[in-house]
Amino acid sequence: MRLTKTIGIYAGSIIFLGMCVFASLAWGSKNVAFNQVIHALLNNDDMSFAALVVRERIPRTIFSIMAGASLAISGALMQSITRNPIADPSILGINMGASLFVVIGIAFFNIHSPQQYIWLALVGAGITSVFVYFVASIGNGGMTPLKLALAGAATSAVLSSLVSAVILPRSDVMDSFRFWQVGSVSGATWDSIQLILPFIVIGFITSIAVTPALNVLALGDDIATGLGINIGIIRMICAIAGVMLSGATTAIAGPIGFIGLMIPHAIRLIMGSNLSGIVPLSAIGGAALLTISDVLGRVIGSPGEVQVGIITAFLGAPILIVIARNAKVRAI
Amino acid sequence: MTKKQPLFEAREIVAGYDKRIIIDGIDITIPSHKISVIIGANACGKSTLLKTLARLIKPVSGKVVIDGKKITSMPSKQLAQVLGLLPQAPVVPEGITVWDLVSRGRYPYQSFLKSMDKTDFEAIEEALEIMGITELANRSVDELSGGQRQRVWIAMALAQQTDILLLDEPTTYLDITYQVEILDLLTDLNRRRGTTIVMVLHDINLSARYADYIFALRKGKLIAQGAPSEIITSELIDTVFGLDCTVIQDPVSYSPFIVPRGRYHVHS
Repeated sequence: MRLTKTIGIYAGSIIFLGMCVFASLAWGSKNVAFNQVIHALLNNDDMSFAALVVRERIPRTIFSIMAGASLAISGALMQSITRNPIADPSILGINMGASLFVVIGIAFFNIHSPQQYIWLALVGAGITSVFVYFVASIGNGGMTPLKLALAGAATSAVLSSLVSAVILPRSDVMDSFRFWQVGSVSGATWDSIQLILPFIVIGFITSIAVTPALNVLALGDDIATGLGINIGIIRMICAIAGVMLSGATTAIAGPIGFIGLMIPHAIRLIMGSNLSGIVPLSAIGGAALLTISDVLGRVIGSPGEVQVGIITAFLGAPILIVIARNAKVRAI
Repeated sequence: MTKKQPLFEAREIVAGYDKRIIIDGIDITIPSHKISVIIGANACGKSTLLKTLARLIKPVSGKVVIDGKKITSMPSKQLAQVLGLLPQAPVVPEGITVWDLVSRGRYPYQSFLKSMDKTDFEAIEEALEIMGITELANRSVDELSGGQRQRVWIAMALAQQTDILLLDEPTTYLDITYQVEILDLLTDLNRRRGTTIVMVLHDINLSARYADYIFALRKGKLIAQGAPSEIITSELIDTVFGLDCTVIQDPVSYSPFIVPRGRYHVHS
């Protein structure tokens, strides 16, 4: 019974993701009929307008899948290591660190190409999370979940005011920055995907590899130590993997909120607290939510588009409320 | 099914939190295949001693050794196959099933490329069976009573299949019925598998009944050790707990039984 249910949930979510992907290729400011989508995908020499539109949508669709999965897994990791059900990737200050570096690049170094934003954002996310981790490790008992959450919140607040301080006097910077900051997958290209792919792949593999350890860590630090886990090292590995996943995504798309917070929660409500189910299903769920949000943004905003960062929260919040009403909210 | 037990000892350990020394130079050798109980007044360092033995606290000086090897220098998973621990306040993830929780005791035997195999499943089945919770396997741990829950945690430690098992107050918060039940189950384990058990207990009379060996601590020092019948005297209880009492014989187990003398209701 349990096994059937698990297989059913996996099959259902993969089919749903497939439908989201198909919708992402078919719908937007120009809608393409389903048979044309399939024709365009199967025949590379199809040079019709519809086929070109579909092909144009492939990189952003692939990026949506990668980004949604990365953010959701990153959220699951952060919630686990901080034992904080409302933790998400931004708890380590990743978003604000990336934002500050991008802003500084735009304001002082005259940087305006998305390719360069990516590097700035990656470096900013990396430096900030190392800093937060370091601050959280100072003092008695090393890094504790509470200190990590506090250090992250404090650092984010400081960086956020720095970002405002740089932007406010410069309206031109504001213009460039706000497109990055709102969170959009439209900037994804094959090149940018290639650039972040290594980070995402390493992040994925690491997350899968640490799930048994995280399952044990969920029983408390003492039990985990007794079962042979070096809790400091496991927390650090997870934090690094989480930063890689969400940092790489943020670099291209800007900060996309809510997926990292909501998806692991929703999956935990459905699947229970075992991370060997939460991690892969969060990946599928995150990919589906981000992809479908992007489609909605394109359909609603047609002929332009509404940025996906705006849609995820609008779409995600009601879903989370429905799930939470129908299931007992599970603590970490 | 007893096998050769590793020699488990602590050498001149000094331990504590931050700069405060709680354990002040303790030397002990844990008797193999026996049930040992650490007793002492609140804040005497008995939990700290157990945690140091379990490598949760790194001693300031001195060392804890198994077969001559310092536990802090052993690979942690390898150590976890020999030395198990049930701390005082483990966390129950919400919605976790009994089987899932017990199965996590197999972590030291897993690696990136090796997931659970037949040995693991057998170890889990056996642990559930010893603790008498086989039929609860698919139940959610949240729904169980305190006594059942404690049996689940001990089953998790059993699934770890260690030669030595340390337990920090395994009967605290339990009704007297469940306290006896848990101690009986631990004795089963000791008799069936020859597991060396070391635990901290509050109840002196239950300690005297169930322990083969007692370590009595006072202010971070070991002041007496031995079989309960040899060391439990009214003088020792007075020194350790500052309690005036009479020691009689437990009519059930013939072990020493202390009867406190308070300020009221004393006839002789």
